[in-house]
Amino acid sequence: MSSSAPTALPYPAPRPVGRSSLGRNLRIYAEFVRVGFVNTLAYRLRYYTGIVTYFIYVTVYYFIWKAIYEHSTNIAGFDFSHILTYVALGWIIRSFYYNNIDQDMAYQVMEGKLAMDLIKPVNIQLMYIAQALGESMFRAVMLSLPTAIVLLLVYPVRGPASARHLAAFLVSVILSFFLVAAINFTVGTFAIRLKSILGLLRAKYFLLELFSGLLLPISFFPAIFQKIFNFMPFQYISYIPVLLYLGKINGRAIAASLALQLFWVLAMFALGAAMWKWSSRKITIQGG
Amino acid sequence: MPPIIEVQDLSKEFRTFRRREGVWGALQNLFVREYLTVHAVDRINFAIEPGEMVGYIGANGAGKSTTIKMLTGILVPTRGRVVCNGFVPYRDRRHYTKHIGVVFGQRTQLWWDIAVIESFKLLKEIYEIPDADYRRRLDFFSEILSVKDYLHTPVRKLSLGERMRCDLAASLLHNPPLLFLDEPTIGLDVVAKDRIREFLKEINRQEKTTVLLTTHDLSDIEELSRRIIIIDKGRILFDGDLVEMKKRLAKYNQVKFFLKDRSQVAKLDTFARNGISCDRVDELTYLMRFDREQHSTAEVIRDIVNQLQVRDIFVEEEPIEDIVKRIYLSGEVGLQKGEA
Repeated sequence: MSSSAPTALPYPAPRPVGRSSLGRNLRIYAEFVRVGFVNTLAYRLRYYTGIVTYFIYVTVYYFIWKAIYEHSTNIAGFDFSHILTYVALGWIIRSFYYNNIDQDMAYQVMEGKLAMDLIKPVNIQLMYIAQALGESMFRAVMLSLPTAIVLLLVYPVRGPASARHLAAFLVSVILSFFLVAAINFTVGTFAIRLKSILGLLRAKYFLLELFSGLLLPISFFPAIFQKIFNFMPFQYISYIPVLLYLGKINGRAIAASLALQLFWVLAMFALGAAMWKWSSRKITIQGG
Repeated sequence: MPPIIEVQDLSKEFRTFRRREGVWGALQNLFVREYLTVHAVDRINFAIEPGEMVGYIGANGAGKSTTIKMLTGILVPTRGRVVCNGFVPYRDRRHYTKHIGVVFGQRTQLWWDIAVIESFKLLKEIYEIPDADYRRRLDFFSEILSVKDYLHTPVRKLSLGERMRCDLAASLLHNPPLLFLDEPTIGLDVVAKDRIREFLKEINRQEKTTVLLTTHDLSDIEELSRRIIIIDKGRILFDGDLVEMKKRLAKYNQVKFFLKDRSQVAKLDTFARNGISCDRVDELTYLMRFDREQHSTAEVIRDIVNQLQVRDIFVEEEPIEDIVKRIYLSGEVGLQKGEA
């Protein structure tokens, strides 16, 4: 390693070790976003069928709610056009915020591939979330937008309550992505200690659909559940963003909802980071 | 110069539980677990100097990969000290991994579904490689590893040999002073193996890259490294110069000869005596192995030439596989070169 030895290629001086600057970090994780986006291109065919799947989901709920609303015009403050819009918007935004970070991590652990993540000089949590963001950006264009257009053409979906509500909704949907990603990463870290978490993931999947308000508005739950849900992050995934769109949150409550959503995002990031720190000391990698 | 890798009393234990068999056993497993502690790596010591190329060998499950994973910051040791390139790997993983290259022969660090070049671009950013350096090194690898033709192919469409070359290039884009290779030639054909060995020699010579490689293909070691460390059941059995090991531990020499015709075969019986064995390789080719201490090579050759009609004759050293096999069997500890 002596500097005087003639070499064909210059040996870069080792950079001083220290905290990377924010700008450099952003560039690194932006690169993971890009790779997440490009990687998803390989599966673009899957997204054409995805549009059909999402359309079928909404159609099924359309008929269920139609049957329910035959006998009443208003349930917990929702009339039929509200509930239809609620369902359609819920599935449209799900097609954006959805990701498989937890499942990916579970497979990395089961297949002994976590090592390939760990040899990279990056924060693993941010790496997974950045890649998922790339994937979600791809979904926004290839899945959410076409699905939204089809649904708007077929069903009488209401427009946003106001321009302000629309803006709040869009911000909220982006926060939803980070919230889901942070939750999924946290769940994924369980794989390190438990090895196989596929059963746990299935349970999480259904609970998240229920608690996020995707299947049913939170205001339809018994009062005691609603109180409990107030202390959990899940309703900020789907229920709150769609209420913002519908104009069921108004005035200063808009900013308060977004602030609370941001709080949950940060809390889940912190929890995920702590879980990773606690679990990564227990990594065992079989084979290879 | 201080060693670039320093390992002291390094141990890694895994806790597993004994699984009972059958339905009743499975039920028992649910409630009562009998834990076993596996000493994957058991108090090992070694130091590697900058620029060295060291072969780390052992059978399956000997502890090779576990050692490499502790050295690369993936696994946290149960006990002991490890310092690489001035870092404690697991404690400072993010900074440490910036200055090392790692290749696991059985896995790829490249993204499976995207073109190789896209993965390279990402690595360029995360290792903060300046544009000029990146381009120069890419050209260098394109030439010497001939990866140029499939830079734009997704990894899943590459053959194992092609993928391996891309993975090697990926691990060296940032020109790390330290390179870890875990089974870099596993599953490769002879030509591909040779290519990778040549490349590693070149990198080690040109860049003075320190290389630690594990393998169970001993021909890798003979080609690449002067020093070998043999590990078995988590313990180091031998650490030292390859040539020295052969000199000290080779017990046999072997003479391979080709008979002129079949009529000679019958005469071979006369050779079966103390310390000499004769094995058939094919119809007219035979291999005679003899104890170096009991018989001199010259004497054995003379006997062969006098008593048989032979076409050709070759003298060979005992293959390194056989020596290593003997080390495993006898579990010879205490061959370590001066413990630090």
